[in-house]
Amino acid sequence: MSASIATSQTILVVGGGISGMTAALEAAECGKQVILAEKLPTLGGRTALLYRYFPKMCHPTCGLEINLKRLKGNPKLRVMTMTEVAAVSGSRGDYTVTLKVKPRYVTEACTACGDCGNAVSAEIPNPANYGLDRIKAAYLPHGMAYPQRYVIDPTIVGTPEGEKAKAACKAGAVDLAMQEETVELKVGSVVWATGWRPYDAAKIQPYGYGRIPNVVTSLEFERMADPHGPTSGRLLRADGKEAKNVAFIQCAGSRDENHLRHCSRICCMASLKQTHYVREACGEEGKSTIYYIDIRAIDRFEDFYQSVQNDPTVTFVKSKVARIAFNEQTGNPVLHGVDTEGYKRYATEHDLVVLAVGMEPEVTGVKLPEDIVLDSSNFIEGSKSGGMFGAGSAASPLDVNRSVQSATAASLKAIQVIHKTASTEAA
Amino acid sequence: MNAPATPKYAAYVCSGCGIGDKLDVPTLEKIAQKEGKMALVKSHPFLCNAEGVQMIRDDIANDGVTHLCIAACSRRAKAEAFSFPTAAVSRANLREGVIWVVAEGSEHDEVRQEMAEDYVRMGCAEVKKMKVPGGNVKESSSKKILVVGGGLSGMTAALAAAEAGYEVALVEKSGALGGFATNLWKRVPFAAPYADAQPVGAAELAAKVSANPKIKVHLNSTVTETAGAPGRFAVKIAQESGSVAEELCGSIVQATGFTTYDINKLPELGGGQANVVDQAGLEALAKAADGGPIKRADGKEVKSVVFVQCAGQRDTTGQHLAYCSGHCCATSIKQATYFKDQNPDIDTVVMYQDLRVPGMGEDFYRSAQDKGVIFTKGKASKVTGGDGCKVDFKDLILNEGASIDADLVVLATGQVPNAGVNLDEWTATVTAAESGDEAAKIKKGELQKISVLNLDYRQGPDMPQFKYGFADSHFICFPYETRRTGIYAAGPTRRPMDMLQATEDATGAALKAIQAVENVEKGRAAHPRAWDLSFPTARLEGCTQCKRCTVECPFGAIDEDEKRFPKFNEERCRRCGTCMGACPVRVISFENYSCDTVGMQIKAVNIPDEFEEKPRILILACENDAYPALDMAGIQRLSYSAFVRAIPVRCLGSVNTIWITDALNSGYDGVMMMGCKKGDDYQCHFVKGSEMAFYRMSKIDDTLKQLGLETERVQTLEVAITDNARVVKLINEYVDQIKEIGLSPMKGFG
Amino acid sequence: MTTANQTAIAKYKNSFLKEVEANVEEGHWVRMCMQCGVCAGSCPLGNAWAHPPQELFMMIRAGKREEVLASDSMWMCTSCYNCIVRCPRKLPITHIMHGLANYAHRLGIAPKGQPTRETATLFWNNLIKKGRVNELTFSLALYFKDGFVQGIKNALNMQAVGLGLVKARRLNPMEILGGHGVKDQAGFKAMIEKARQIEDRKKGFAK
Repeated sequence: MSASIATSQTILVVGGGISGMTAALEAAECGKQVILAEKLPTLGGRTALLYRYFPKMCHPTCGLEINLKRLKGNPKLRVMTMTEVAAVSGSRGDYTVTLKVKPRYVTEACTACGDCGNAVSAEIPNPANYGLDRIKAAYLPHGMAYPQRYVIDPTIVGTPEGEKAKAACKAGAVDLAMQEETVELKVGSVVWATGWRPYDAAKIQPYGYGRIPNVVTSLEFERMADPHGPTSGRLLRADGKEAKNVAFIQCAGSRDENHLRHCSRICCMASLKQTHYVREACGEEGKSTIYYIDIRAIDRFEDFYQSVQNDPTVTFVKSKVARIAFNEQTGNPVLHGVDTEGYKRYATEHDLVVLAVGMEPEVTGVKLPEDIVLDSSNFIEGSKSGGMFGAGSAASPLDVNRSVQSATAASLKAIQVIHKTASTEAA
Repeated sequence: MNAPATPKYAAYVCSGCGIGDKLDVPTLEKIAQKEGKMALVKSHPFLCNAEGVQMIRDDIANDGVTHLCIAACSRRAKAEAFSFPTAAVSRANLREGVIWVVAEGSEHDEVRQEMAEDYVRMGCAEVKKMKVPGGNVKESSSKKILVVGGGLSGMTAALAAAEAGYEVALVEKSGALGGFATNLWKRVPFAAPYADAQPVGAAELAAKVSANPKIKVHLNSTVTETAGAPGRFAVKIAQESGSVAEELCGSIVQATGFTTYDINKLPELGGGQANVVDQAGLEALAKAADGGPIKRADGKEVKSVVFVQCAGQRDTTGQHLAYCSGHCCATSIKQATYFKDQNPDIDTVVMYQDLRVPGMGEDFYRSAQDKGVIFTKGKASKVTGGDGCKVDFKDLILNEGASIDADLVVLATGQVPNAGVNLDEWTATVTAAESGDEAAKIKKGELQKISVLNLDYRQGPDMPQFKYGFADSHFICFPYETRRTGIYAAGPTRRPMDMLQATEDATGAALKAIQAVENVEKGRAAHPRAWDLSFPTARLEGCTQCKRCTVECPFGAIDEDEKRFPKFNEERCRRCGTCMGACPVRVISFENYSCDTVGMQIKAVNIPDEFEEKPRILILACENDAYPALDMAGIQRLSYSAFVRAIPVRCLGSVNTIWITDALNSGYDGVMMMGCKKGDDYQCHFVKGSEMAFYRMSKIDDTLKQLGLETERVQTLEVAITDNARVVKLINEYVDQIKEIGLSPMKGFG
Repeated sequence: MTTANQTAIAKYKNSFLKEVEANVEEGHWVRMCMQCGVCAGSCPLGNAWAHPPQELFMMIRAGKREEVLASDSMWMCTSCYNCIVRCPRKLPITHIMHGLANYAHRLGIAPKGQPTRETATLFWNNLIKKGRVNELTFSLALYFKDGFVQGIKNALNMQAVGLGLVKARRLNPMEILGGHGVKDQAGFKAMIEKARQIEDRKKGFAK
């Protein structure tokens, strides 16, 4: 795209997850010009990889479908995928943004027919399933991917596999010569909706993630429960055994000055939700145990907590698990710790342990414009120049509902900036 | 939009993505021409590429094409490429709907081709009944935003809208701006380092609001009437003095806040006794102390204080609030630091069950601990007030009963929303009053007094409330969606929340209010169909005044006029079509979606004779969830029976029973209706649509019996968007079931 | 009950937490505990504890002075530092445990006959005589701490080890005659005395 489309009346939204899509759509539906830049090949972000939402147990893709429909029907909104912000200069109302667009190796002519995927044999770890399974190196990121276009993984570009993909495409949409592009834009305001990533569970040494089999993260468990996931919705361990007795360890990384000093807010509710997955999969035979410090089922979510408490298959233990050992015979992780309510020591075996990993801002370790103000946990508080805003879980550890609320607010703050710029220019 | 005088119909059949390999495209073209009566029929090897799209554009520009049927992929794919704003467009889904779902192999060639031919027939039939919607652009509409409530949320919303360039009318019932926040000594910190309580800033905010030339503040005022619709709300604002001001507003933010739960309802926790206060009571003591030692009502300096969390909250007995108010843990932490900051020697204990300070609240918690606030995980069983207060509790860590003496006990009670009239109560009262019940008439008047908005809507004077009386949205992805278009709740009236969240919430609600007036100006629908320019019209000459449309509209969009005909307020309408589904005489329609656009598709399907043993099953699928699930079955190349014909509908609520009886009369063997989950955790984005469909279909059994048909011939199903595998199973099982029952005896009569 | 204990009770009345904060090494950290229990679960000797650290902290906050100070729990700490490493609030738990033990000992209300306490006392008494630990006399003192007969049994049990050490010239039997000390004995004594004065002043034991 050419830089001339964007002006100081344009809002740039960085990140195409639920917060970014919301910020972009809300502004565009107010009649503003918006560019939505997403780092990955598809919109949808992390919520598209969730099976269900708490507390309604509804499906994230339902809201995604509505947002995509809003987006397809809105000419004010322009989506750029595989795009990252390399630099921002200027000031409130008048920023110059440098974007780097990575090659997808597939042009807009792609019809998502799937011929390229069928033609190649090389595989890569499936990013939509956190690498729990593998997909072809020419792939559609997931069923709800938007744009509905395939991606050629760079590892097969320049190999015979890449050529196979190109040869298979009847629409002539595979372009292996595609190069990274740099685009410069003028925008009035920037909304950073860069989201979060799961805290690296391997850093929590006593829990043995990556060393001890059958210790998974809450996000991996989400994929296991999803019918579109690597186990087709069955709660299967790597050894093929069905997990019926599942432990959930809260604050895996959160509320911990050795890891993340903040509370990640969502994890209590996420684990409560995931006990439903165990119940769905195993019925009365299932057993969920939640090891927690405080159950933070805040405000109206209390209902959900109550309902899970009433489920006889779910047990709550007020304890931060001290360490996980491994029983070679059963292949089960063994949790060691103390139930602090009355001091009871335990060494309990579970089929599967789910670490409710904390939210780390996706921008942690990423070089951001000088102007951005971060808090002690790297959440975006705003900008010194006052024209850039954090939205959603980039700004604070938030659940989906609050992320959307935050993104809607950020969207109006961006509109205020360009409104002021417009009034000044008109004056 | 000025449509050309003579419509010209065209069909375009794509042979790309394997369509040409699997289907006989020339035959499809012939069908479009002969049966579909399309004036112009073309095929293209890649219709969605630049050349294909240009071909269509040229035909529109040069050949006068006004209506086109695109027989290619699903309507969910290539939406941008096939966007022709001046033309009416239907999509025949040959890819996701046919070649990707019909089993491979030449033995399926015949049924596959028949399926594709039917979809072409249906696409042509549909587009012939469609018009390009022009939008209901009004010559003038107000862009002023009404904010009800002058507390923190209301002031924030007003200022947020004003700073984006919009006029605001702010109505506050008391004599000053500020609301509950003015009662606070300090507030919880909003930003790093989250260490100390901060100045509230309510007075500064109030001054900013008062000084803003775009904001008109009405003090000592309440809203006594709100008539009209988004873009044209006529609002009567009555002052205490009796004078009435009128404002014409485009949209409304309701920020009416909360009331604290009555501490006197908690006698077991010392409510009503001396030196037992709620958090608001403590704020008053702190304000009076003004930074000095905090004194009790009797003047004694407080040397020890206990905060009892969840007082009358998270209650499982049904007596008190069942929910958690979210802010109280942080508030008690803040209040404990009032004491510690003034004098570190004061004993402060916060007694909690789960300390709920998410996010950066953890820093604030640590900071208070560092200041010496003691946190005890315990459940208070009894509080005794008086000169020496006592809290009896169970220490949950030490697992024993214990008690603490204190000079003062603070109960962290919850937030009760000020959301106006409960509409269920209202409806019951009005019904009783209309039947002459005198007590009900008096009660109706009382309810009107507590109403916040006094809407003159047929459906009642306020927004529908959700559980516990909050004017919340039911949706996780769309927290601002209410069932009253153009009216948005913000702050603790929407859900329990703290000040930081209320600030954000109000800013977001202001955006939605702005969006509402912008949508009205362009004649567009509101969420979730913001792009939609169509709107419902009724042929009133055919109307029997049955009122079903007015009753069933989930958004209260339809009133009755003085002759008792339905009066459509398009600006309130969300375009779901529930009214269309409700109408027994089928007089309600949209330009591009009507009983005809769907009915003609149903009739266009070629019904084979009984001896051919090819059943035909109609699927009416919610376009947001069930239809994408069918699409994704195709994307995953799952196979389902080629005997089904799927039609996407805006909402299952828009399904008119005539479609079902027409289908059965014309020889279909079964009908599957696929909609969203209903009930408490409903997923229908039009709230009641799917529920209505289930209700209506529960009554169709009689019709079936009259026709001499088995009740199994109509199925109503809940299908989620992720149900692609399940939907395949459902279809295949149903086809087997129909084969077992036998084909419809109605064939050949249609 | 010693005078020191009575003084402390009088001074801090009902606030044992304040007493701990003022007098126990790293005691001011006790308020920062959030009762997660990871220390309790992480302790390799946890089974031997009547009260794990997290519970001790809660007991301190609840004012259970006698139970805490008379407890043998904190004497069980072997300084493995698992708790410190895992504590999400970064409490120096090991040091607090030693601090509590030390404080209870100073007040004279630590459990009698608690082996860790006895060993530590013997060690200290041995050490301050000449500024060096006399391994031979210290070992013998340990062997005989539970009486003469037990002492002979202990010594016989350890005979092989002892002879081995002598052979390897790691143990000098002549040390039994008093052994050698640090060079400046007077200076060493003065240093210990000064340190004690400072600690007494800080912890409220100053006369």
